[in-house]
Amino acid sequence: MDNAKNIIDLHDVQGNIMVNFAGYGCHKSRYFFLHISNAAHGRMFIKNITGLVSTAAFMAEKDEDGLIIPPLVTTNIAFTYNGLKELGIPTLTLQDFPDEFVVGIRNRASILGDDLTSAPEKWDAVYRKDIHLFISIDGANEALIEERYQQIKDIIDDSLKECKEEHLVPADQASGIKILDGCRDDESDNKAYQDASVVYEEVDGQKIPTAKEHFGYTDGISNPFFKGMTPEMGEVLGGGKRVGYGSPKSPASWEPIETGEFILGYKDEANEYPAAPIPKLFSKNGSYLVFNKFHENVGKYHAYLDAASQKYDIEKELLAAKYVGRWRNGAPLTTYPKKADAEDAWKVWSAAQWQVGKLFAAIMELKGKIATEQDPAKKDLLIQEKKKLLAEYFGAAANFKVINQTFTAFNYDDDIPGSKCPVGAHMRRANPRGALEFGNKNAFANPSALDNRRRIIRRGLPYGVPTLDSNDKEHGTIIMTIVSNIKRQFEFVIQQWLNYGNDFKLANDKDPITGNMGEEGGQMVIEGNPALPDDPAKFLLEIPRFVETRGGVYLFLPSITSLNMIGKGIVDPT
Amino acid sequence: MPNQAGKAYGLTVLCPLKQVDAEGKSVSIKIKNTLWDLQMPEDKITNEDSEKSVVTVRAPDFFFKHVPNTYLARFYILEDVFYEDYPYELEHLKSKYLVFTSNFYGDLEPYLKGMFENAEKEIKSIWQDCYGFDSKTINANSFADYIKKCQVETTFFFNGSVEPEPKNSPNAKARSLQEQLKSLYLKQEFSRFVFQNAHKKPEELLDAFRKFVQETQPEAEFPRWKAGGNDLKTIVEKG
Repeated sequence: MDNAKNIIDLHDVQGNIMVNFAGYGCHKSRYFFLHISNAAHGRMFIKNITGLVSTAAFMAEKDEDGLIIPPLVTTNIAFTYNGLKELGIPTLTLQDFPDEFVVGIRNRASILGDDLTSAPEKWDAVYRKDIHLFISIDGANEALIEERYQQIKDIIDDSLKECKEEHLVPADQASGIKILDGCRDDESDNKAYQDASVVYEEVDGQKIPTAKEHFGYTDGISNPFFKGMTPEMGEVLGGGKRVGYGSPKSPASWEPIETGEFILGYKDEANEYPAAPIPKLFSKNGSYLVFNKFHENVGKYHAYLDAASQKYDIEKELLAAKYVGRWRNGAPLTTYPKKADAEDAWKVWSAAQWQVGKLFAAIMELKGKIATEQDPAKKDLLIQEKKKLLAEYFGAAANFKVINQTFTAFNYDDDIPGSKCPVGAHMRRANPRGALEFGNKNAFANPSALDNRRRIIRRGLPYGVPTLDSNDKEHGTIIMTIVSNIKRQFEFVIQQWLNYGNDFKLANDKDPITGNMGEEGGQMVIEGNPALPDDPAKFLLEIPRFVETRGGVYLFLPSITSLNMIGKGIVDPT
Repeated sequence: MPNQAGKAYGLTVLCPLKQVDAEGKSVSIKIKNTLWDLQMPEDKITNEDSEKSVVTVRAPDFFFKHVPNTYLARFYILEDVFYEDYPYELEHLKSKYLVFTSNFYGDLEPYLKGMFENAEKEIKSIWQDCYGFDSKTINANSFADYIKKCQVETTFFFNGSVEPEPKNSPNAKARSLQEQLKSLYLKQEFSRFVFQNAHKKPEELLDAFRKFVQETQPEAEFPRWKAGGNDLKTIVEKG
């Protein structure tokens, strides 16, 4: 495979495009939004914060033991159209931004199906304000997040002082940057930030971080794998694009997606450079980020699940899996249609994952001890111990990579009618993995020709206190979707695949989990197995709206070079 | 003949960049910042109207004005080759390159030495993270050798001098940078003269022209344009 270093400059691309920081120990996040009223202050702030902005360079720079050392706290920054305008980006550059980005997410509500309880007037107040800048902090714990947050607030204040010292603003200029309040949580509807955290499970009195969201599904298992990613950044089997009809477990069946589907300035799946603003230096290595706050009606979800499992005589966990296409533990339904097999697969998968984490933590602890140990003999023993653990760690990591493929490397070729994974299940809608050929091999140029241009990177974490019965408290998931074309990728998937069913031959059925069900509720077909005498199709009716939009922003996620240009005020499209 | 058009020389240099510097920072981002800062250098000026007497200002200025005989110089980072079109194979460079092009009057070796002598600090800050460039040991001679190693021979360069030496002409004369700056000054001033005096009677016009000649001194070295000038109000150099 191509050497990642030579395709994408990992020093220049913001890290959240390439890496899910939550998967590297950043279990907490804080998101906040700023408004700029003075361009000079705004630019000085951008100039001064650029050094803090996290890239994915750490993924390619292993330490002396060959380990990737992830950051404990990160910062990423993105801009709305109005923000770029306020910062003085030239008109010629602004004119090149796509319409949907210019008008912003609230004006795309009808396309996105954000109606009724999801309508923008129901959103947290902050998302109805004129947001210019978005900053996300991911961190290993709350203290680190708070420290970084205060540091950024200091940079805002110091930048104003610097502007005054350089006479860029009058001496009596008030702050030209405001952190917008209006984020809602259980205590207040007027907070200056949105916090998020992984959901913890208690095992033997210990709080164990999980990848679960509030309905209980293990989330974020499969993300796109594109050219320029290192093997540590993802999995080409299942994450890449399908290039044949061989076994989904065979490397010959998948290839990395073209970089230009996710990062501007690179060839995309149409063999073109994605449309992007000029100058090229301003847009290259940048991307678009759609921020969404999705509320989860956990009470309604469980109530419906209980009632439907009785009404349709279907085991509750199986029904939960049919909604999504994965068992709640993460095992894909199409590979593991039986609960017992899924549980066995999960045990192996989670034990392998746990082993990698445990060994990494032990090595890091040993490294700390070695650094402080004075006695040469003891130090030598520790070094020997580390050597042993390193060998175990690399073995465990390689082992997990193989085992993880049982959760990622699959397609629906053996399940075209959907008797295992329903055709309308959430995961099969959002990423059909070639299923849109409906078994008509070579119907298109390649099996996944209809989905290669609709792939999306998902980042984010759950927010709020876990619950089993609440609808009205603040609990849900922050989803950040990263794409090089908001309209073709994000909006299309939401409008055509999640809130509509025609492409799946499912008429106007919506996604059972995320669909914007109307007051009459939604419906879902759970296909039966015609080969079995006692497995008829089931038609779920009156599915309530489980997920509601509580906020959203369309953002441009520039490269470090671009941030430097914005900060210095030297974006020149001529 | 590559690289030359009369006495005008077109230098094209591709210097491979290290990926990261000694501190692990991206070299291409660092050089971009260095070049941006060099063309908008900080200057401390005394401002009597202000409560603070010395203030920092930034104004467009480029150190190349101190490098003798330069018609035109450009730097850029070549990050990768451009993808042309389907179905051509997509290729990638093994490293990024600092591209330096200069169009100057005269011969290569003395020009490079003159460049080093007049811009040593800037040269070191730009080239410090290029492969094969050692900013601790570099001197005028080794800089010239280094640049020659990285030189790409080409007839395809942007020519800032439009008047190559007419070899067979009895009045053979190369246009040095100084002569070009004088010509540009005269062209500008003569245009101004025409617009201001076109309506005058012949005797008035003659007087005005004599005054024009006296002021502009067409045969003398000065006044002329300043090298590296970028503001019409301040561009004239009296000498």
